[in-house]
Amino acid sequence: MSLDLKPKKWAGALREVTLGAGSRRPVAVGGGNGLPLHTFEAAFPHRPALALEITDVDPVRWVESVRQPWEGVLGRPAEAARRAVADFGADLLLVHLMGTHTDRGNRSPEQAAADVGAVLEAVNVPLIVKGPGAGQKQNTVLARVAEDCRGEGLALHSATNEDYKTLAAVAVAYGHALVGESPIDVNMAKQLNILLADSNVDLNRVLIDPLTGGLGYGLEYSYSVMERIRLAALGGDAMLNCPIVCLVGEEAWKAKEAKVPADKEPLWGSQRERGIHWEVATAMTLIEAGAEVVVLRHPETLDRIRKQLDSWFGSEPSHDREGVVQNSFRATDEHR
Amino acid sequence: MPLTGLQIFKLLPNTNCKKCGYPTCLTFAMKLAAGKEALEKCPDASPEAKAALGAASAPPIRGVTVGRGDRAITVGEETVFFRHEKTFVRHPGLFQIFDPAGLTAAERDAKLDHWRAIRIERAGETFQVDGIAVVETAESVAAAVAASDRGFPVAILAATLPGATAIAERIKEHRPLLVPPAGANLEGYAALAARLGIPLVVGAPDLASLADAARDAARAGVTDILLEPPGADPRLLHHSLSAIRRGALDRIHPGLGHPVFLCVGAGEIEKAVLGITKFASLVALADCGGETWLPLWTLRQNIYTDPQKPLQMDPGLYAIGEPNDRSPLLVTSNFSLTYFIVSTEAEASGVACHLAVVDAEGLSVLTAWSAGKFSGDRVAKALREMKAAERVSHHTVIIPGYVPVISGELEDALGDGWHVLVGPQEASDIAPFFRDVWGPLARDLGTHP
Repeated sequence: MSLDLKPKKWAGALREVTLGAGSRRPVAVGGGNGLPLHTFEAAFPHRPALALEITDVDPVRWVESVRQPWEGVLGRPAEAARRAVADFGADLLLVHLMGTHTDRGNRSPEQAAADVGAVLEAVNVPLIVKGPGAGQKQNTVLARVAEDCRGEGLALHSATNEDYKTLAAVAVAYGHALVGESPIDVNMAKQLNILLADSNVDLNRVLIDPLTGGLGYGLEYSYSVMERIRLAALGGDAMLNCPIVCLVGEEAWKAKEAKVPADKEPLWGSQRERGIHWEVATAMTLIEAGAEVVVLRHPETLDRIRKQLDSWFGSEPSHDREGVVQNSFRATDEHR
Repeated sequence: MPLTGLQIFKLLPNTNCKKCGYPTCLTFAMKLAAGKEALEKCPDASPEAKAALGAASAPPIRGVTVGRGDRAITVGEETVFFRHEKTFVRHPGLFQIFDPAGLTAAERDAKLDHWRAIRIERAGETFQVDGIAVVETAESVAAAVAASDRGFPVAILAATLPGATAIAERIKEHRPLLVPPAGANLEGYAALAARLGIPLVVGAPDLASLADAARDAARAGVTDILLEPPGADPRLLHHSLSAIRRGALDRIHPGLGHPVFLCVGAGEIEKAVLGITKFASLVALADCGGETWLPLWTLRQNIYTDPQKPLQMDPGLYAIGEPNDRSPLLVTSNFSLTYFIVSTEAEASGVACHLAVVDAEGLSVLTAWSAGKFSGDRVAKALREMKAAERVSHHTVIIPGYVPVISGELEDALGDGWHVLVGPQEASDIAPFFRDVWGPLARDLGTHP
């Protein structure tokens, strides 16, 4: 008896978003016309891209197991960027300007722009730039970065339903992409994209951050919201078909389970491996739900996720018709 | 395929006798179609109607039970592809792969006792080792008996038919799961499973032969079957898992309507993650450390949470760190996500504190307040029930920054000597709040440690 498994065809597809321009080697994401990883029945021009997070100041709250691979370069963004790309093989970077937060150093917009500029000098991968979080400071910091780094195709993180106008304007003015962040809610994600489109933002330059719940801390909410966003996109909803970015590292390493030493909870096993597993499980689960960009903290997680994705997408870099190297690992392999 | 209301209506007597409690047969048929009523309520339903409805309402994926007694585990009976469509019902069993070769009886028993003693409480669930997958070696009969005696459901990872037969015969009363070796001729194993009435795992190199093999095993008299999906690499495994679930729900082949079994080797947590998220029902793990099991238990808990109801914490007073009577007292709702975020941030602040989790019916703070579930009176009543007054000497309670409006009512309801302090709106601001607001205040109150 033969199996009559019909491939599922959908009316819609994801938008293709290219991150990085100017002096960047661009990375394109999205464009797939099926459920995540369903390569057996749909076409995916790009594999999910893997980013590492670097910070402008020493992230003192990071636990030792995730600080260790970055020893010597924490708080030195250009050096950290070089290590992330050359040694760890990141496809792109998220520069987290945490030091601009009023409680964490209150660094100025000028300092922030200089930090991002130094990273642009050090590496040629695309950058996601994350501000200090909602509020006036976020806008002044990211607006200054956007202006000073015009034409580099940064992804500014993030615009929200309550506060999107400034970032929408600077993204359009200086040629950057924009991450729209909404609180684990399909309708809010859609509403934000409508607002951005009304503000003349090209949705082909927008990523959706649906807010990541880490493993054990709301992962299931993110998982189902992302599945629903993907189904809406495949159903043809042009306001929900932007690729999704997930800030996995931040959430995974925040978990108590990634922080508690083995001697305190003997049944929990090795702290280092447990933390990496926490990040691997969060990342893999969210890629299954439709993440097209995942931002990680531990290079070992990146390595393990990359090996998984190789099974679907092959280990050779693919080239699109413009000859852009997609998420190439080869360039970095030369440095090993 | 489920029947529509009209299809069911045609099977009913159409007498509108109202014995079912509904005014017409059509109304009752609609309720049946929605799964909200049972056909037993119609005393005049014909045998044909019962047969037709029974077949249509049979779950697309059969339920299978492994083991007997308290720890027996039933898997399968799933009805959806996406958890948000309804919910995933029966969470996958996580079995410990156990190779007893070379162990003395004492060493073997020590391991089994250790696994049996593991209990980890998390968000209202107790994580434990659900079963033991015994690798067939010379020592395996005794090991399988020892595991069964401890109440564990047992999977027999067979190497040879005679060896597997010896183990299965000894523990057949405990309903072990028979797992033939990869590529084995299934006939002998199916005959064994059928004769002993135990569940069987069926594997094959591709999906079509897997479905056929399961159908053949059923014809050979095996009632309870699990499928081992083709999965030489992650891509193929993901394809197989997705196709089996979809094929089962669409009922394209009777051989696909069974739960899925997955064996995960050492250092392969990614494979287990794929299995747990994508429909595997029994996962046997070679790794035995908490660094592998804890993330997988937690992932299973997340994925198998019913998305239709908000996850709730048990109300009560939770300790963050090791608080004393001078530590701050925070109050929040029992929506799990709220609790987890607040407790994580409070813990990250490095300040030990008491966290009072109030029964807000699983709603977030602001939603609960709008619905009248987080009023001053309700919070006060909860704090009294938790005997908060005996736990903190400063009698100051910090409320979420989104509901300053309940301050007055709460202070009145708590009575003399209590102060209400409005905390931050966002959990991420708890640390600065402790530093900038609570710190100086605590010094003023003379309660700073």
